[in-house]
Amino acid sequence: MTARRFRPEDLVDFAVVGSGAAGGVMARELSQAGFSVVLFEQGPYWHAGDWEHDELKYYMLNGITNDPAQSPQTFRKDPSQRAERISAGNGLYYARRVGGSSVHFTANYWRFHEIDFIEHSRLGGVPGTGLEDWPITYAELEPYYSKVEWEVGVSGLAGASPFDPPRSRPYPMPPMPVKSSGVLFERGARKLGLHPFPAPMAINSVAHRGRPGCVHCGFCMGFGCEVMAKSSSLYTMIPEAEATGRCEVRAESYVFNLPADTKGRLTGVRYFDRDRREGFQKARAVVLCANGAETPRLLLNSASSRLPNGLANSSGLVGKYLMFNQGSQVGGVFEHPLNEYKSAQVTRLVHDFYDSDPRRGFYGGGGIDARIGPQPMLWALREEEGAPRWGAAFKARLQEFTHSMAAWGHTTSLPLESNSISIDPQLKDAWGVPAIRTTYRDHPDDLAMARFLREQGTAILEAAGALRVGREPIAESQFAVHLLGTCRMGNDPARSVVDRFHRTHDVRNLFICDGSSFVTSGRGQPTMTIQALAFRAAEHIGRFARANEI
Amino acid sequence: MHCVRTAAADLMRPTLPRENKNMPQDDPPLTSSRRAFLGSSAAALGGAWLATYWPQIAAAAHAAHETAAAGGAMAFQFLTAEEAADVEAIGAQIIPSGDTPGAREAHVVHFIDLAFAGFFAGEAADFRKQLAEFRAGCGTANADVAFASLSQAQQHAYLQSVEQTPFFGWLRFLTIAGLLASPKYGGNKDGLGWKLIGFEDNHVFTPPFGYYDRDYPGFVPYTDAGRKT
Repeated sequence: MTARRFRPEDLVDFAVVGSGAAGGVMARELSQAGFSVVLFEQGPYWHAGDWEHDELKYYMLNGITNDPAQSPQTFRKDPSQRAERISAGNGLYYARRVGGSSVHFTANYWRFHEIDFIEHSRLGGVPGTGLEDWPITYAELEPYYSKVEWEVGVSGLAGASPFDPPRSRPYPMPPMPVKSSGVLFERGARKLGLHPFPAPMAINSVAHRGRPGCVHCGFCMGFGCEVMAKSSSLYTMIPEAEATGRCEVRAESYVFNLPADTKGRLTGVRYFDRDRREGFQKARAVVLCANGAETPRLLLNSASSRLPNGLANSSGLVGKYLMFNQGSQVGGVFEHPLNEYKSAQVTRLVHDFYDSDPRRGFYGGGGIDARIGPQPMLWALREEEGAPRWGAAFKARLQEFTHSMAAWGHTTSLPLESNSISIDPQLKDAWGVPAIRTTYRDHPDDLAMARFLREQGTAILEAAGALRVGREPIAESQFAVHLLGTCRMGNDPARSVVDRFHRTHDVRNLFICDGSSFVTSGRGQPTMTIQALAFRAAEHIGRFARANEI
Repeated sequence: MHCVRTAAADLMRPTLPRENKNMPQDDPPLTSSRRAFLGSSAAALGGAWLATYWPQIAAAAHAAHETAAAGGAMAFQFLTAEEAADVEAIGAQIIPSGDTPGAREAHVVHFIDLAFAGFFAGEAADFRKQLAEFRAGCGTANADVAFASLSQAQQHAYLQSVEQTPFFGWLRFLTIAGLLASPKYGGNKDGLGWKLIGFEDNHVFTPPFGYYDRDYPGFVPYTDAGRKT
């Protein structure tokens, strides 16, 4: 196919900023609806043959992700502190490639449950937090969850979990073949009266929509899929957008400012091209899908004399209510080989602890899944409480690799106004653009929930017959890949940044849809919901555009 | 050195002692025809694709490794012979040899040398400084005998005394990486590290994957309603 190319002076209908989970859907839906789209991406356009099985490169050398040397960030635990660079690099970690973090995600695709959207009214709020209901319900989003499952591609077993919310269609593909970790997890969890079920994964278990089934190489988490079986935007939405002839993917093009005219309407986007030359693309409307850190950063960096607090920020909430998702990890060693390094990371999980339960004494909910954890090097580098760290005993532990699995808990984070993305007052990136400053401290209930799930994970592995169980410490968050809540959705312009259709309350031709739109954190697997929101938002944005209402 | 993670996150991010500056640039560029193939024939991919293309990819990786190994007794590019001897001895304490190969046989010291000559070059000066401090401290404690020349018991005892230092954490990280990273980085010689732990770097596996999933009877649906609220 010949991809469409627009000139900067062409007035395109939409500039979509960010090509990840949300941006891919947005570009595909808007271009298929007949609109012209330029899809901006900071990183390069890599394809299936560009990926490798190389842990060092992808985990240690920023082979896919934002490079701390080029794009530095600062971190602090609360607003009274001066933010510093983390010696290890950046706290917020996301893929900087066409396809965004959908390139390297693990592909856990849980739908949110009905309760996620109405927790505030059900629980009556949590003092000192911004826990609120969403302006939309699960029922409103359900058709779009089904769209993700069928059009992006999710494998799973409908109805397997008694906790699953209602659905209009089954999954298009059967679940991934169960691994030994899944069998053991299921055995242990069923013994405890829990309800383990096949994990929904955005990985083709069989050929689907022109892409092959998984070949079980095991390099999902942190890696690009070499056979296009993982349902990344890179392989699903973006090629379909380009095939319309109305969408240009403009890679290595870093949008840093959104200029407005005197009436406050955006005129387009300013960006740096691959040679770091400044460019400007005219557009009728802008859709930000840049992730929960880069989206608020762009709004704050677009401050002007007219809008000193940043664009679309009359509420003062741009960047606020950042949520990471907490979690827990427990490892188990078994008598016979599991060989967990093969195939998709997760094949079984439980949602028995999904809902917040006042009897626990704290707010929170989550799920626990069965997995290896990562591939060899990261597995060897994990920190287990009380385990030998070097010498013959450490080497003996390394040799348990094929006999090991893990139970990971994935939990809520409460929305706190003090947790935020803001602009560092001093630090700039390699392009001279003011850098991200993260302020984050977990609510005590988030840590309590993580500890609770660590106990449940321990019990499951013990019930499954583990010879030994090792727990990893639960610590306050400093590193995150789930970047949620920083331009929250709501009906009240004083208490939210975007409305229920993802239009910013302040700027008529500016829309935002990505993890920043979340009002609550869900239970640790946000990408499915990001994409369902994007399908829904694109439908409304297209409707507004056709009605000349942008 | 410790492995910090986002506990909830699905991606884990071990920390490096310092951020690195340089990416390795040793991957052969894709030909445009191969790129076009990859972009256009999705339906034909999967096992068939790998059967066709993997030999080329594997050959390229092998060639890169052969080049690195061509020198026989490899010359060090960053470490001096004395530094290398101590670094190798530290690595051999962290992952000792024995019935099975350890850090020494896996050429971890070459991984570390190439790292500071290449992709960790930005940290090289700091590493050398910390290594010098380690060697000086060891000499003070051991009558000026170099770490590599101490007995196994003396080496072990001295490392225990510095176990909590950033330098030891750094060496521990580098030793594990040198054991288990792709052999193209100079360590994990002949895949010894992967063999040690039982990892196979294949690109296609088929179920059953392990002992416990061989005879899985299939998922049995629930008859109760869970604790649905």
